[in-house]
Amino acid sequence: MADFTAEVYQNEFLPDGGTDVHAIVTVTCTGAGAAGQAGEGDAGEIVIVDTSGSMGAVNIRAAREAAAAAIDQIIDGTWFAVIAGTHEARMAFPAGQAELGMVRMDSSARAAAKLAVSRFSADGGTAMGTWLTMAARVFATVPSLAQKHAILLTDGENQHETPEKLTEAIDSAKGRFQCDCRGVGSEWQVAEVRRIAQALMGTVDIIPSGAEMAATFETLMRQSMSRGVAAATLRVWAPQGAQVLFVRQVSPTVEDLTSRRQEVNALTGAFPTGSWGDESRDYHVAIRLAAKGIGQEQLAARVQLAVGDNVVAQGLVKAMWSSDDTLTTQINPEVAHYTGQTELADAIQEGLAAKAIGDDATATAKLGRAVQLAVETGNDEATAKLAKVVDIDDPNAGTVRLRRSVDKLDEMALDTASTKTTRVKK
Amino acid sequence: MAVASSEQFCEACGAVLSPTVAAAEAVPSEASPQAIPEPDDLGATAATCQTCGGEVISDGYCGTCGARAPTLRDHFTEQPAAWVAAVCDRGIRHPRNEDAVALAADDEPGSRAVIVVCDGVSNSIDSDVASLAAARVARDVLGSSRSRGMGTAPSLVAAVIARLEAATDAASEAVLEVTHVARVGAATGNPASCTFVAAVVEEDLLVVGSVGDSRVYWLPDAGTAVALTVDDSFAQEQIASGVPRAEAETGPQSHGITRWLGIDAPSHSPTTATMTLAEPGWILACSDGLWNYCSEAQDLATLVQKAGGSSPAAAEPLTLAGALVDWANAQGGQDNVSVALARIDSPAPRSTREEA
Repeated sequence: MADFTAEVYQNEFLPDGGTDVHAIVTVTCTGAGAAGQAGEGDAGEIVIVDTSGSMGAVNIRAAREAAAAAIDQIIDGTWFAVIAGTHEARMAFPAGQAELGMVRMDSSARAAAKLAVSRFSADGGTAMGTWLTMAARVFATVPSLAQKHAILLTDGENQHETPEKLTEAIDSAKGRFQCDCRGVGSEWQVAEVRRIAQALMGTVDIIPSGAEMAATFETLMRQSMSRGVAAATLRVWAPQGAQVLFVRQVSPTVEDLTSRRQEVNALTGAFPTGSWGDESRDYHVAIRLAAKGIGQEQLAARVQLAVGDNVVAQGLVKAMWSSDDTLTTQINPEVAHYTGQTELADAIQEGLAAKAIGDDATATAKLGRAVQLAVETGNDEATAKLAKVVDIDDPNAGTVRLRRSVDKLDEMALDTASTKTTRVKK
Repeated sequence: MAVASSEQFCEACGAVLSPTVAAAEAVPSEASPQAIPEPDDLGATAATCQTCGGEVISDGYCGTCGARAPTLRDHFTEQPAAWVAAVCDRGIRHPRNEDAVALAADDEPGSRAVIVVCDGVSNSIDSDVASLAAARVARDVLGSSRSRGMGTAPSLVAAVIARLEAATDAASEAVLEVTHVARVGAATGNPASCTFVAAVVEEDLLVVGSVGDSRVYWLPDAGTAVALTVDDSFAQEQIASGVPRAEAETGPQSHGITRWLGIDAPSHSPTTATMTLAEPGWILACSDGLWNYCSEAQDLATLVQKAGGSSPAAAEPLTLAGALVDWANAQGGQDNVSVALARIDSPAPRSTREEA
């Protein structure tokens, strides 16, 4: 049985008249076990592979190997299926049946599925919305599934479908399965694929060349199979009259969860967090309270992790009004760190968006600020990726120049990595 | 860690295992540290929120408005006998109650009483736990000994002073134990610390002992009120050098104390004073949460007269202590407030009683 703990990092002291309480809550899961083994429902996996014409001979060969590598990692007993995606979705495995469906993994299913993916050929367009819609329908054919996860691979823009159609498909898939998304090469749109990954509580990343595809798929599937807790929600209770300013996941990546609130009761919201393996995630919670008198103490939030209806961990966020400046002026290091990392993600994305439309002044300012924040918060990966897009004159002042020629892959790698955060150095 | 009977060493820590027979005959060492009294009896919270009427959750906060449910530790009273009582209160501006009181008394008015007040130093680690542990263990030491020396007046005074010194030692040990248990205080340079003041009544003999700036006053119904303790404080050092009391006690360093109980304390030997009770009046022990608003003995006597209603001499001690705490809170309640009172009606000479 999985164990969860919650730790709170905050400065609980507020000055006279102070209203806003910020806290970082670290939730840690241990003993998660393997997916589908907890006896609370089965695990389901769908591998969605782009088989459009643009994949070409090289990438389609890589995609066959990658799909096979993923299938190898799916543990016996897991329900699974493979979808081949073009301007429409097609069942690659199990195929040839009148109804959509999934198959339980065993050695013969594994062999049959690997044979099916070895026949992938590159042909047709790209309409990712149809892939998501089919995946949702396929998962729905197995009522015993408690954990539903997909890997989606694409190589190009969503050309054969309007953005509205894609939005519709994303909205209807939301909450029905989780999806890690990967783009191969430089012809796909980071913002488009990020939109899918964020809505479906998955990650987005770039696979620079087909050669790295199999290793990526293997890792993604192994990670998913190690998530023994099918689904958990972060619950945030705030007192009557208080305002929850925001709830963000800030590690391992920045995701604003605020708008995903589902009401538990008038004072408590639940924010889906998907499945859990043995891991730690950090959440930044900000609450606005009515100011109380000096010496008063109150609870600003109860931050809980719930599996089903069971609260398995709780952290208390407190507020104490004090006249002691030495207490009230301290900024908690964890809160400061993640506030910087969140701003870093925004600065990178806004800077790249400005650069894409030729607004060099904004791009230079935003990416300069990003360099400054990356150095300040010790995010070496972001600093290294930024250095491939801008020439850094003064990292502390954030003085940079846009580079004349930038490899598109480097720019996309910076974009996809923008939400990855580093932890506070202890 | 389970150990098989044939094994001689603990598998977990490698300690040599003593034979069972010897262990059973082990005699507790006199130097063994005093156990910390469990403050569990003061840990309970009300089921209903005092702020909004909501339900208090098991985490100690209201489930509706989030207000911290007060615990008994925030406000508690003691009254071991009708003539001795104390109120200990968080005040208004401090988040927790780091004051503590502990009392003991025989039923017969004016016979025997022990009053201890400890004021935990603000923001030192766990000073609320330390002050309560110190006050209670000192009360127990003072209350358990009935040694009267050789029965003569001077030897009784010496015996009571010896008790006070033993009680202060025990209180100091209790504070140190809190720091050892917490394991963090000493390292942060902010270990648990508190003041100590005790008053012992043995019929018409009153002996007080103090470390820090908590005080004992003698407030006769008629005649001149006196402070029996001298603060160990920067303010007191200034007063000794000629600065007027009112000025010294409101200066920037006025709340700095020069002696306290704690692992970083310079010494904890109590400064003692003795008086013979010859007339009716009140013994009042308090923390600076009260005297900050009323320091001079005569002003305090006047305040007690007012707070005591139509006949202050007949006032109920617990009610009067509560009224004084309320008064301090009405002045702003800047600090935790402790007020302990013992009513002396007709002090009887020791010799009379001992013959009786």
